Amino acid sequence: MIDQNKCEACPVHNAGNLKRLGINMDKFDFVVALAGNPNTGKSTVFNNLTGLKQHTGNWPGKTVTRAEGGFEFNKNRYKLIDLPGTYSLLSTSTDEEIARDFILFGQPDVTVVVVDATRLERNLNLVLQVLEITDRAIVCLNLMDEAGRRNIEIDERALTRDLGIPVVPTEARQDVGIPELLKTVDDVVTGKLICKPYRITGSSKGLTKAVENLAEKIKNEFPGLPNARWVALRLLDGDQKIIDAVRSGEISGIVKRNAIEENFATV
Amino acid sequence: MTTNQINEREKLIASANTLRWEIGENIHDSIIESIYTDAAKIANKVVRIKEQKKKYSFDQTIDRIVTSKWLGFPIMFLLLAVVFWVTIEGANVPSGLIANLLVDTLHPLLKDFIASVGIPYWINGVLIDGAYLAMAWVISVMLPPMAIFFPLFTLLEDFGYLPRVAFNMDNLYRKVGAHGKQALTMTMGFGCNAAGIIATRIIDSPRERIIAIITNNFSLCNGRWPTQILIATIFIGGAVPAYLAGLVSAAAVVSIALLGIIFSLLVSWGLSKTVLKGEASAFSLELPPYRPPRILRTLYTSIIDRTIFVLWRAVVFAIPAGIVIWLVANVTIGGTNIAEHFIDWTDPFALFVGLNGVILLAYIIAIPANEIVVPTVLMLTVLVAGIAGVGSGSGVMFELDSIGDTSAILHAGGWTVLTGVNLMLFSLLHNPCSTTIYTIYKETKSIKWTVISTILPIIMGFAVCFFVAQLWRLIAS
Amino acid sequence: MIDPLFALLIAFALSGILAVLFWPAKGIYATYKKAKRNTSRVLIEDTLKHLYDYEERTVRPTLRSIAGHLSIGVDDTIQLVEKLQSMGLVESSQDGIQITPQGRSYALRIIRIHRLWERYLADETSVKETEWHLEAEEKEHSISVEEAEALAAQMGNPVFDPHGDPIPTKDGEVPKRNGVPLTTLKNGKFGRIIHVEDEPHAIYSQLIAQGLYPGMQVRIINTEKNRIRFEVNGEECVLAPLFAANVHVIPIQKQEEITSEFKSLSSLRKGEKAVVVGISKACRGPQRRRLMDLGVVPGTLVTAELESIGRDPVAFNIKGATIAIRKKNADQIYIKEFSQEELN
Ligand SMILES: Nc1nc2c(ncn2[C@@H]2O[C@H](COP(=O)(O)OP(=O)(O)OP(=O)(O)O)[C@@H](O)[C@H]2O)c(=O)[nH]1
Ligand SMILES: [Mg+2]
Repeated sequence: MIDQNKCEACPVHNAGNLKRLGINMDKFDFVVALAGNPNTGKSTVFNNLTGLKQHTGNWPGKTVTRAEGGFEFNKNRYKLIDLPGTYSLLSTSTDEEIARDFILFGQPDVTVVVVDATRLERNLNLVLQVLEITDRAIVCLNLMDEAGRRNIEIDERALTRDLGIPVVPTEARQDVGIPELLKTVDDVVTGKLICKPYRITGSSKGLTKAVENLAEKIKNEFPGLPNARWVALRLLDGDQKIIDAVRSGEISGIVKRNAIEENFATV
Repeated sequence: MTTNQINEREKLIASANTLRWEIGENIHDSIIESIYTDAAKIANKVVRIKEQKKKYSFDQTIDRIVTSKWLGFPIMFLLLAVVFWVTIEGANVPSGLIANLLVDTLHPLLKDFIASVGIPYWINGVLIDGAYLAMAWVISVMLPPMAIFFPLFTLLEDFGYLPRVAFNMDNLYRKVGAHGKQALTMTMGFGCNAAGIIATRIIDSPRERIIAIITNNFSLCNGRWPTQILIATIFIGGAVPAYLAGLVSAAAVVSIALLGIIFSLLVSWGLSKTVLKGEASAFSLELPPYRPPRILRTLYTSIIDRTIFVLWRAVVFAIPAGIVIWLVANVTIGGTNIAEHFIDWTDPFALFVGLNGVILLAYIIAIPANEIVVPTVLMLTVLVAGIAGVGSGSGVMFELDSIGDTSAILHAGGWTVLTGVNLMLFSLLHNPCSTTIYTIYKETKSIKWTVISTILPIIMGFAVCFFVAQLWRLIAS
Repeated sequence: MIDPLFALLIAFALSGILAVLFWPAKGIYATYKKAKRNTSRVLIEDTLKHLYDYEERTVRPTLRSIAGHLSIGVDDTIQLVEKLQSMGLVESSQDGIQITPQGRSYALRIIRIHRLWERYLADETSVKETEWHLEAEEKEHSISVEEAEALAAQMGNPVFDPHGDPIPTKDGEVPKRNGVPLTTLKNGKFGRIIHVEDEPHAIYSQLIAQGLYPGMQVRIINTEKNRIRFEVNGEECVLAPLFAANVHVIPIQKQEEITSEFKSLSSLRKGEKAVVVGISKACRGPQRRRLMDLGVVPGTLVTAELESIGRDPVAFNIKGATIAIRKKNADQIYIKEFSQEELN
């Protein structure tokens, strides 16, 4: 915590626009969640933005609990949540459940999915699942230095276009690309950038019909729900948390975002 | 919420259920398959790989070596031995220096100062001879080895070696019905058992996760090395020529650590044959690419962060324990103090299993933190053996200037090599510290498993000490 | 001090005694517990299950069948049935013994717990397949309803047990088993007999003589105009369509085993590549999901990269990441040779 201020002055950080607040999360304006596959550098990004010292390590599963920290950028105060790495949002181990529950019920204003640029395809699995739940997401294309060393090139503009959400290349360990990431977060939360996320297309016929059938009923019950299809899928998979959320009506909180946010802040 | 609404929702859930009967069980399969199809489509469009990659084959070369049939295990043990050896050798001198400063210089000063202000002797005793000395001892014994061990360990971790350990050892873990990632949580336990137990969350299968939690205690945590290192140096290093002492003691500590691994395998096997019956479930572990660690940053974070954190915890627990020690040594019932009562009472049994009453009392006092076992043992030994002229009086925890003095005290207290060996074994096999017990409860949410993981190692500890003692005596006679 | 040899002997004797007492499954304590199992609760619940089962299969239960099912004497059975009657769980008339609606819902509750537990064992414990049923038979009597619900929630509310039978809902609903005549089943498909029509009697007795009962599993070998060949419990059987139409079955999803045609991932040697075709149905629950999440889906290209000691586990390159998989699981992943066109 000693060198917290060291980098504040250097130009990469948009001339002091970023203020690392450590564990100070009073009166935050926005909540940002860091999701992503294991070992892609989420905790590194987290440390970078908050100035905290969340443990990082070169093996999948280093972070198993949720960590929170704060930062200030462009006069807005943010609460940042470092989540355990997950391969998917459909499985059920304890660490993955923490991540999933937060993205779903924590109602982050924006979810930053940290992605390993050297293994884009497998990481997109999670990105696409996140996009089924929320439409405010950013892809942080991390480990670009390693991708470069392996001669892997990624067409970020094409990726942005295909996913319908902003994509920011970074090298979190070297602080490269972090200012751009912050700028993008700012743009998304302030509504300057509107995401039009990609939605998963085909699956088997029987399933598609069942999903449509059920999604229709869900929409009737909870008008305006943006991810009725996903809720339908989860109901069909017997996900108890979603069943409970439907039963209690909590699921509609996804529409009444602001009301929930206040509740969540007081929890 | 109106009743009508509730009804509608129940109907919704019920209709989902009916649909589930119809579509059968393959839903998860088809979802994932379709997601991956889309992911591949997108990735194919945006990713371009310009001809093959040198760096990648470098990774593979290292992997071939560290996971090879012949070299895999030797490299692992060698690394472990080197880490311990560097820790033992490197910690010696700074430990002495800090002890010198905190105990030999500062302690008398503080004591005199308090006395001069005119505070009653027992407050002086509780605070300075109890709390302060306990804290000083913990700092001098723990800070140097931790400041060496943690960075070394973190470097290995950052490089990406740990998952390879799990890969090499999985074969053994599978045979005992445990999860391959247990090797990872076990190595985490070498730092701190509580941390190791939280790390078991990476194990999906509940059965194997409980096995990993129960057996984590068999990883020597950093609170227990000072005991191991000191006793190994006195009783095992002391038995060989001086130039070999360092190596031999390191070897002894490594053997205890390995014994711990063997016990964790044995217990895992026992558990999966009995109360936690079952075969090993799926194991899939991603082996990350090697990444050159950033040495300076690692040094900085592991010293400032981890070391200070663990030290802080130790100090927090050492202070009340110091007070307790002072009290049991100074509060008397019928002319003898509480400590002696207890020691006299337990000695017959303790000596029979090759330990002694002092050790048992020390382990009870040290339940909050294993770090303070050795100072407690020393203090109590002086008390019981009635050795004059060492330390600063009855009930004072102290650090002796040289290992020679410590050794002299222990020998005067009736210690033999057997006591030393058994203490090392008992330090490996006894109840987890209070923080760990609490963590086990939090993670398992079950009193049953918490009790089992607490009691099981103690029973094993006594059993192992018993057998070693009897065999030792058989051979010696 | 006690003589060490003597102490050792005592210790060995003691551990011997403890082992005899507490050895899992075979020790005295375990045997005693097993013997105590036949408490009245167990007897009641097993009787209800038996009655429900017979009702489903449209077979009439008798005192003798109950006695046989529980392996107790007929006198005890009479007492038991009387007790059940006084509890309002069964009725008996000239038609025989019948289960009441209350009794039925009780039975369904037990069946729910039984099948949930089988599912749990199959998905999350890696207990051997042959032991699922036996363990569930014990567990169903000792788990409370709340515990069972918690278990169901945690597993994602499964609707089928690992044998493919539906798990009744909490409220005692089971899907209507809409049986179809055996004649409508296609070649190679599996079904379970749920009903054998007892009218006209001539046909019925013929069917019974063939040994066809509800609950049996059939697989159609081939259907021709005037005869249907099928396999039932491992034996081949031939019926005329007229007869076969009186046997009602529900189609069941028996995995179409792909083992024979495809090699498994564990056969891949270091450095070799292949394409995934699928995961065996024997790999279930979280294990299956985990593999798929890691990218083991049909069409994925895999390369064997590293072998641990004894070739178990082996690390494969799957979609860019190196992932270690145990042989047991690699056995359940089917692959085919990889060809260049496959890649696109
Ligand atoms: N070369 C390089 N290494 C990086 C970069 N970002 C992170 N790392 C390293 O990647 C490893 C994993 O980083 P973490 O931040 O612990 O990853 P994580 O996503 O939090 O991982 P989990 O907590 O296990 O999910 C560490 O060794 C980091 O030092 C980067 O941009 N370039
Ligand atoms: Mg992390």
